[in-house]
Amino acid sequence: MALTEDRRRIAVRLMVLQVSVVVTFAVLAISFWFLQIIQHARYQELAENNHQRTLALRAPRGVLFDRNGKVLVENRHSFNISIVREHTKDLDRTIRLLADLAGLDVEEVRQIVDRHRNEPTYRPIVVIEDASLSQVAAIMARRLDFELPDVVVEQVPTRQYPTDALAAHVFGYVGEASEAQIGNRIRTGSIIGQSGIERIYNDLLMGQDGARRVVVNSVGREIRTEAEVPPKEGRRVQLTIDYDLQKAAEEGFRHAGFNGSAVILDPRSGEVLSLVSLPSYDPNDFAAGIDAATWASLNTDRLKPLQNRAIQGRYSPGSTFKLVVATAALEEGIVTPDFRVNCGGGAPFFGRYFLCHLKGGHGLVDMRHAIEKSCNVYFYTLGNMLGVDRIHKWAEKLGLVGKTGIDLPNEQESLVPSTEWKMRRFGERWYAGETISVSIGQGQVSVTPISLAVMIATIANGGTRVTPHMIRAVDEGGGWKMATPPAVADQVAFRPETLGALHDGLWMVVNAAGTGGRARIPGRNVAGKTGTAQVISNQGRQAARGSGLDLRDHGWFVFFAPKENPEIAGVIFGEHNEHGYLGAPIAKHVIETYFAKKEGRPRPELTPKPAPALPEADPDTAPVELGAPVARAAQPAAAPGTN
Amino acid sequence: MFERRLYHHVDWGLLMAVLTLCGIGLAQIYSATGGWTSTVETQIYGILLGSVALLVCLSIDYRSLADKSHFIYIAVVGLLVYVLFFGAVRGGARRWIDLGVFNVQPSEFVKAALALVLAKFFGESRRGALSRVDLAIAAALTAVPLLIIAQQPDLGTAVTLVPVAFAVVYLAGMPVRLLGVLAIVGLLAAPVLWQFALEDYQRERIATFLDPEQDARGAGYQQIQARITVGSGGLWGKGFTEGTQGQLRFLPVAHNDFIFSVLAEEHGFAGVIVALGLYLFVILRSLEAARLAKDRLGAYLVLGVLASFTFQVIYNITMSAGLAPVKGLTLPLMSYGGSSMIATLAGFGLILNVRMRRFTN
Repeated sequence: MALTEDRRRIAVRLMVLQVSVVVTFAVLAISFWFLQIIQHARYQELAENNHQRTLALRAPRGVLFDRNGKVLVENRHSFNISIVREHTKDLDRTIRLLADLAGLDVEEVRQIVDRHRNEPTYRPIVVIEDASLSQVAAIMARRLDFELPDVVVEQVPTRQYPTDALAAHVFGYVGEASEAQIGNRIRTGSIIGQSGIERIYNDLLMGQDGARRVVVNSVGREIRTEAEVPPKEGRRVQLTIDYDLQKAAEEGFRHAGFNGSAVILDPRSGEVLSLVSLPSYDPNDFAAGIDAATWASLNTDRLKPLQNRAIQGRYSPGSTFKLVVATAALEEGIVTPDFRVNCGGGAPFFGRYFLCHLKGGHGLVDMRHAIEKSCNVYFYTLGNMLGVDRIHKWAEKLGLVGKTGIDLPNEQESLVPSTEWKMRRFGERWYAGETISVSIGQGQVSVTPISLAVMIATIANGGTRVTPHMIRAVDEGGGWKMATPPAVADQVAFRPETLGALHDGLWMVVNAAGTGGRARIPGRNVAGKTGTAQVISNQGRQAARGSGLDLRDHGWFVFFAPKENPEIAGVIFGEHNEHGYLGAPIAKHVIETYFAKKEGRPRPELTPKPAPALPEADPDTAPVELGAPVARAAQPAAAPGTN
Repeated sequence: MFERRLYHHVDWGLLMAVLTLCGIGLAQIYSATGGWTSTVETQIYGILLGSVALLVCLSIDYRSLADKSHFIYIAVVGLLVYVLFFGAVRGGARRWIDLGVFNVQPSEFVKAALALVLAKFFGESRRGALSRVDLAIAAALTAVPLLIIAQQPDLGTAVTLVPVAFAVVYLAGMPVRLLGVLAIVGLLAAPVLWQFALEDYQRERIATFLDPEQDARGAGYQQIQARITVGSGGLWGKGFTEGTQGQLRFLPVAHNDFIFSVLAEEHGFAGVIVALGLYLFVILRSLEAARLAKDRLGAYLVLGVLASFTFQVIYNITMSAGLAPVKGLTLPLMSYGGSSMIATLAGFGLILNVRMRRFTN
């Protein structure tokens, strides 16, 4: 029967279909088993990468305080605008839109992105650092419209330095870590100290970046925070710097109208109260990433604003070096303070005639008056009696050889020659005639301002060569802990008569007929000594004339106060200011500020600059060797200061 | 018309399984769209209207329906033609008739109409093997709506008509040899079709399927995301409304084409097995209805309706696991879509109808 045949065929074919369906479903079930059970871990991870994003939370760097607890460097909030390429479909479109909204050049943005092309796609590429509020607003508005899902705006802490670039060279600056700096806690993109205190105490100041794991949807919008490790702020650090003294010193320079450097110490401890180097830069320019143009102009500036003159500039100390010779002669017992030399305006040594700066000569002078008048002949004589090696020995004891060990990076070594040094350096023996120039701080002597500050501090405190330092206390998290001051570098108790002669002579420089009268403060017994660092020899000056280089001499002023139990000591270095005594008013302003503050009186203010006074006679600006009278003739006759 | 005794012959098991799948689908739509949204409400209306359609298709004897199948067929094709010219456009395709309150997609109803007309055509009592003329007529009946739907364009739905025709013809006694010949012709025609019949985006989809990584941001994205969605579900899943892939929209149209992926993510392999089991039960139970059918017309009708359903279920689930090219094919009973829901439930009304009336004359 056809009908039964029909039935049978239908039954068979239905059976075939049934089996096919069961087999297909079995295959499906196995596929799902494979995906969901066997490969689960892999897909689990992919799903998590999909919707979880780890954002770095930059830790604020530690706040810096001055010695009185005033905030010097803190952090402000700034906004970074970055591109996260992870889910970007059309990177070029994002770049164009972002550049358009932020008012940037498309090419510039593209270059920034290209530079980071090889980094993992989930890591944000910072396109705009420290974005303006209008840029942030423009971006956020588009983000809400899902137009820029791959652009993120992050709030980051950024260093905020004082205005007017105050103490710029103390703080240094921060910047993104270079390849070579990566390691330990420093990762790509970490902001670390690149100079100054920021660099040397980077480990303390850096803090620990946190992280936030957020859930994002397919267009990159954050849905919720999954986990958060808050950033740990860097240690709070108190510096030995005194804000008011720092300000007073910088004001002093601005008022005086020249660049240079100043280091003010507490001679009892070596704490740096103020450290100035001018011209300087604004560390705020670096805080949010410095732009290429500013960086280039800082680097090519002939005045070298990036150089910290206080520790990196090396200059001839001039007459301030006479203190070393005096100390050496007295401590070695070669002379007593009453030792007298008759100055007739010059003296012959080893067949050459060496000039004093006073044409007619100082007449018969003892140690005190030789310091007061800065008599060259007296110190030529002492130097000749000492020989270069003993001068070197005492220069070292006073801190003028090598580094002072201040807690700042890249300090340069100061140099005072010795026979051993000359042999090592030039393979030649020392000629005794060379000692004569050295004994008035010329020749191969070259020192940094910080080392001269240590010298005057050592003379002030009676022989303890302190190590200058700038860290006073650190907040380790559980309150302030005083930092252990560095060990004293050397300690010699000067003989009382040595100290007496030096202190008297230095007091007379300021308070009697010497060159430092501009630092005189009634009742404060300021002691000091001026000096001139020749930039070029008189012969060289002729040759270099018209080269456009600034060949004017540098001026020094070293000082301490009060004469009895000195509390403050320091050095003022005036770049191309020609006369050491021009630094004295700066020292005066600093010392006055110091005592006003100590005694709770209002701080002194500098009166507006008076009309430039006529150049004064300067005994430090003196030719040394014969054959220079041509240059000297142009100088006005030397006369003791009238103030 | 609906006699009381027939009530006892309703396949309650099948009906319950179908409604359970609707419920699971509704829950996953709730999850994928993020709560009580208008999408969920629309789906509920779809299920309610579908249930009414199911009751209507159940009540009328399928034989009387088959007698009017040519009218139904012509009416539906007419609607397709109407849509082609006056239909509402969405997403670049003209598929819908805008009724104000909701849109109707006539192409969904073509499947049942075609099953009816083919069942009627082959179910007419006749002897001997199928003639070529018979096959040609069947091919033509299928081709007309298929080509119109392809013009909308909606290749996905158009293709679902092919299993309907094949299933009915196969059961009606098409020689297996002929199947083999068709398969070979199909294979040979593939390159030609590739070249001339497919749009660029369709070629791209297939190319992407073969190597999803080559275009991980574009067309391959959905496929990769589908695998991640399913794979990350694990054994027990991430929990209802806890799926990250679906919730955070890494998977596009999660409430529609990829509803099964969402299920796999949130309920894991366990949930997948339950859902697969229900679908398998529904299909096998329907095949049973075909076997038990009183006449060939009934058997053909059941199989015609079941064919497009089964094809869509298998294809969609394969695609949900990222194992087939992404195509706009929904998962019947679970995916969001009013027209599809109503048409599918109406289809099950026909299947239940055949089984219920296996003893009547």
